[in-house]
Amino acid sequence: MAADATAPLKFTGSKFLVQRLVLATLTGKAVRISHIRAASHRSPGLAPHEVSILRLLESLTNGSQIEFSYTGTTVLYKPGLITGSAAGHGASGGVIRHELPADCTRGASYFIIPVCLLAPFSKAQVNVLFTGPGVITSATETGDVSVDTVRTAILPLFKSFGIELNIELRILKRSNPGRDGKGGGGEVQLVFGHQVRLPKTIHLLHAGRVKRIRGVAYSTGVAGANNARLIEAARGVLNELVPDVYIYSDVSSAPFVPTQDKTNPRAKRKTGLGFGLSLVAETTTNTLYSADTASPPSGGETPEDLGKKCAYQLLEAIETGGCISHVSAFPMLSLMAMGSEDVGRITVGKEVLGSEPVIQLARDLRMFGMSGWGMREEEDGDEDGVVVSVVGRGVGNVGRKIA
Amino acid sequence: AELLHGRRQMYRVADLSRMMYDDMLSTAEVVRKWYGNDEEDAEQDRESEADDAPLVKRGRSDEQDEDRLVPTFDYEVLAAKWTDAENLEALRQRFASSGLTGANSE
Repeated sequence: MAADATAPLKFTGSKFLVQRLVLATLTGKAVRISHIRAASHRSPGLAPHEVSILRLLESLTNGSQIEFSYTGTTVLYKPGLITGSAAGHGASGGVIRHELPADCTRGASYFIIPVCLLAPFSKAQVNVLFTGPGVITSATETGDVSVDTVRTAILPLFKSFGIELNIELRILKRSNPGRDGKGGGGEVQLVFGHQVRLPKTIHLLHAGRVKRIRGVAYSTGVAGANNARLIEAARGVLNELVPDVYIYSDVSSAPFVPTQDKTNPRAKRKTGLGFGLSLVAETTTNTLYSADTASPPSGGETPEDLGKKCAYQLLEAIETGGCISHVSAFPMLSLMAMGSEDVGRITVGKEVLGSEPVIQLARDLRMFGMSGWGMREEEDGDEDGVVVSVVGRGVGNVGRKIA
Repeated sequence: AELLHGRRQMYRVADLSRMMYDDMLSTAEVVRKWYGNDEEDAEQDRESEADDAPLVKRGRSDEQDEDRLVPTFDYEVLAAKWTDAENLEALRQRFASSGLTGANSE
């Protein structure tokens, strides 16, 4: 590809790794990321989940090159074409099986969201089965949202870009984080069957008013009464504001995973016990705000507390306003940048815009050759939002154009 | 009045668009500056306008926290904030069908 001739873009640090890898894949530019936890004595270099996501990118693309340095503190990534789950590239029967390592501390959403961003631009449909002893479907202490939130609050966002058909996230087996927040035993399948040439240009200027709240309470391996208690507490806070609150309850048993025990290789143990709550508020203009809490692996939190916390977190997100939240900022703004060469506009709450990840995203996008954002104060101003205009570059379809 | 004029206004969009692509500043610095915390009496400043309590809760804990999607909150502060009737009333306008008449919902 053309990008091969040029020097790779240079980044440092372990933060925003996924964001950079995704943008690199979408734009087809090589990146070299150095100083990944170089200062850490105990665990320098890439963490297990980061290596895993590189492997995932490799299996979703054709012709990617990944080079690690000896210590793993530097990685060179030359992206190939996004082929998705086309036959013959690591997919069997049209499904890519991606096993997450047992010492993974991040939730499954950490892996799913990047795939969702690549999938619209893939050559064939994307069908990834996340499995193995490291799949955590719940929200995690490390700040990942639960897969329920991905399903109900992130996947619907693609609709406004004209990407809406045949998209499904199946939660086959639930799991909370296991001991020390590591590993789980869940199973999630992502089917993303709508590929586009370019995402539509969007103009989302009004966040609207919240009309309904939906949610999922999940208990894995613990009594279903926990769900009822979570729901009760969350409703206690929210019902005053919205009458239309409906929270599903999902009780499942804890997954069995093999123990890594040499003496008894057939031994299995239960892992990933716990409960959690995912709430999504929908407005009249289909803006989504979400909130997530889950029981910590160390225990010691009552469902009542968690339910309340989740409700407060949701109120906080609603108050922030704008058409995107902290959770959806990365997918939305990147897709806008990938769109056709037209100005898309979106209202962003000031707190979201003024957060580190979003500012870094703006900078990274520019590094990858996207245009800068235009910003202006929202005019009809009782909400304090900022209208961000993003000019698309029409490069999102690198893979399809060439292939 | 002097106090008001002497201090840079917080949250000005023009400031942010200037700083956003200024690579000399780290993102953390941009955020801090935009919230007007670069001045030493920022704390005091914030207390004086505590009525809308702009950013009490963003307790960005430590550097090890990476790529979080769910922001960390100090839940005690949040609980206090959202049990306060005034704050709830202020938020009410963001909800459909919870207005006084319901007629002004979109």
